[in-house]
Amino acid sequence: MVSLTACRQRTMRPMGRTPRVLIGLTLALLLALAWGAASGALGLSPWALLSGNTDTLSTQVWWQLRLPRLLLGVAVGAMLAGSGAAMQGLFRNPLADPTLLGLASGAGLFVALWIVIFQDSAVNSLYGQFAAGFLGALSVCVIVFGLAKRQGGSAAVMTLLLAGLAINTLAGAGGGVLAFIASDEQLRQLSLWGMGTLTHALWRTTAIALVLISLALWMLMRSASELDLLQLGETTAHAAGLDAKRLKRRIVVATSLGVGLCVALTGVIGFLGLLVPHCLRLWLGPGHRLLLPASMLGGALLLVVADTLARTLGAPAEIPVGLLTSLLGGPYFLYLLMRRSPSC
Amino acid sequence: MLTLHQAGLASIPALAPISGELHPGELLAIVGPNGAGKSTLLSMLSGYRRCEQGTVQLDGRLLDEWEITALASRRALVAQQEPVGFDWRVEELVCLGSNPDKALIAELLDDLNLVPLAKRSVLSLSGGERQRVMIARGACQLLSRRSKTARDGGLLLLDEPTSALDIGQQQRLMRQLRTWATQHHMAIVCVLHDLNLAATYADGVWLLHQGQRIAYGKPHHVLTPERIADVYGAEFQATTSHKASPPLLALAR
Repeated sequence: MVSLTACRQRTMRPMGRTPRVLIGLTLALLLALAWGAASGALGLSPWALLSGNTDTLSTQVWWQLRLPRLLLGVAVGAMLAGSGAAMQGLFRNPLADPTLLGLASGAGLFVALWIVIFQDSAVNSLYGQFAAGFLGALSVCVIVFGLAKRQGGSAAVMTLLLAGLAINTLAGAGGGVLAFIASDEQLRQLSLWGMGTLTHALWRTTAIALVLISLALWMLMRSASELDLLQLGETTAHAAGLDAKRLKRRIVVATSLGVGLCVALTGVIGFLGLLVPHCLRLWLGPGHRLLLPASMLGGALLLVVADTLARTLGAPAEIPVGLLTSLLGGPYFLYLLMRRSPSC
Repeated sequence: MLTLHQAGLASIPALAPISGELHPGELLAIVGPNGAGKSTLLSMLSGYRRCEQGTVQLDGRLLDEWEITALASRRALVAQQEPVGFDWRVEELVCLGSNPDKALIAELLDDLNLVPLAKRSVLSLSGGERQRVMIARGACQLLSRRSKTARDGGLLLLDEPTSALDIGQQQRLMRQLRTWATQHHMAIVCVLHDLNLAATYADGVWLLHQGQRIAYGKPHHVLTPERIADVYGAEFQATTSHKASPPLLALAR
C-alpha cells in the first residue's frame, strides 16, 4: 500500500512547518499550564511547592484540586476540539461541531436522566454517568447521520443544522422537565453539573478521563489521512482506496465516547469544537494530519486559559467556563454565518 | 484488462446485462440520453456498485475480490462534480489519494493547463478549472501508484469530464486523454454528452438507452444520425458521415 504520509508532508503549506506548529502549540500549552498552576484563590506557585515553602494544606489543595483540574482541562479541551475537527472533516462542512449537532446536549440529557432516575440507588456511580453520556452522544450521532445520508448533497448541511437545533431544543425541554420533577437534592446536583465547569475535577475522574480520552484521540489521529481522502466525495474516495464505512464508524464511536465522557464530567462546554479547528484551518490549511493534532493542542490551550480566567476573574466566586466559551464562540459563529455564501 | 460478462444490475436503477472488453490504450465513450444509466454503469465498473448479475473483471480478477487499496492503484474514478468543503490548494488536492513525486505533479498540472493555478485555493476556481483539477487527481492516483511490474497504466473512469469546459478546453482535454492512453497504456472510459466529441476521439462507443446498451462498436457505426435522432428525440439538419471521417451532428433549428 502506498503511504499517504509522504505526500501530505511534502505538500504541506509552508514546507516543513508541521513539527514547528505543533511544537509551538505545545509550548504555549505548557506556558498556559504554568500560569494556571500558579494562579487561583490560593496564589501558590509550583515552584514554591517544589521548594517546600508551603504549608501542608496548600500543598494538598494544589495536588488534590488544582492539578487534576488542569489535566482535566487539557483532556476535555483536546477532545472537544479534536472531535470538532474530525466531525467537520466527516461532514465536509466547517459548521459541524459536537455542540451544534446536538451531540453534547443529547449526552447531557442522558446524563441528567441517569442522575434523576438512579440518584438514590446504588448504581448511581460515575461509570453510570459515563455510560449514559456515551449512549446519549451515540444516539444523536446515529440520528444525525441517518438524516444526512437520506438528504445527501448540499441539502444535508441545512438538515444537519436544523436537526442539531431540534435536538438541542428537545434536550433543553427534557432537561427542563427533569428539573421540574427532580427533588431538591437532585436539582442541586443537576445544576452544579449542567453549567459546564471543571470544578468537580478529582483524581479519580481525571484519571479515567485521561485514559479514555487518549484512546478516543488516538482513534481520531489514526483517521487523519482517510479524512483527507473523504474530502473528494464518497464515490471518488472509495475509488481512491478509502473504506468510508469503517472510517465513519471509527469517528462516530471515538467522538461519542469522548464527547459523552466530557459531558458526563463537565457538562456542556460549548463552541470549543467549532472555534478551534476553524481558526486553525484558516492558518494551516485543511489537511487533517496537521489539523487534528493542532486542534487538540489548541483546544487544550484554550480551555486551560478559559478555565484559569473563570477561576480568577471573579474570585473568590467562579464563572462557569462553559459560559465563557459560549460568550466567545457565539459571536464567532454568527460571524461565520454572515461570511458564508447563501448557497451554503 | 477490463472484462464484462453479462454484467448487470437488478435493483433500481437497473442495468440490463452487458458484455464487453476494454484493452490498455483504448478510449471508450459511454453515451446516452439523461437517465439512460451511464453513471450507474460507471459506478459498477469502478466497483462502487457491486454488479448483481454476471461478472466484471479487472486484470482477470473479479472486482469484488480486489482489496480496496490494491484496486485503487489500478483504477481511478473522477465522479461528477461534488462540492469541495475546504480550501485545499490545487497542488494539494491533486495528491489526495496518492504519493506522487514532484515531477509527476508538475507534468500533470502542465498537461491540463493548471500550472498558473497550482498555489490557488480550489474554492476560488471556476467550475471548469476545478473539473480539470479533479481529472489531474485521478490520473495522478493511477500513475503514482502504478507498480513497477505493471505493463499498462490502469483504468481511468471519467463521468462527464467535459461538462464544465469551454470548447477549447474540451479539445485539449480529449487530446490529452488520447495522449495518456497511448503514452501510459491507460484504458479510459468517459461518460460523454457531446456526441461529436465521442465520435472524434473515442475508439469505441457504447450507446445506452433506458438502462440497456442498444448499440456498441466504432463511433461511425454506433452514432448514425437515424439512431441518434431516434434515441434522443432530436432533429439534425446536416450530417457528415463519411467512412473516413467521424460523423458530426448539427442540430436543426
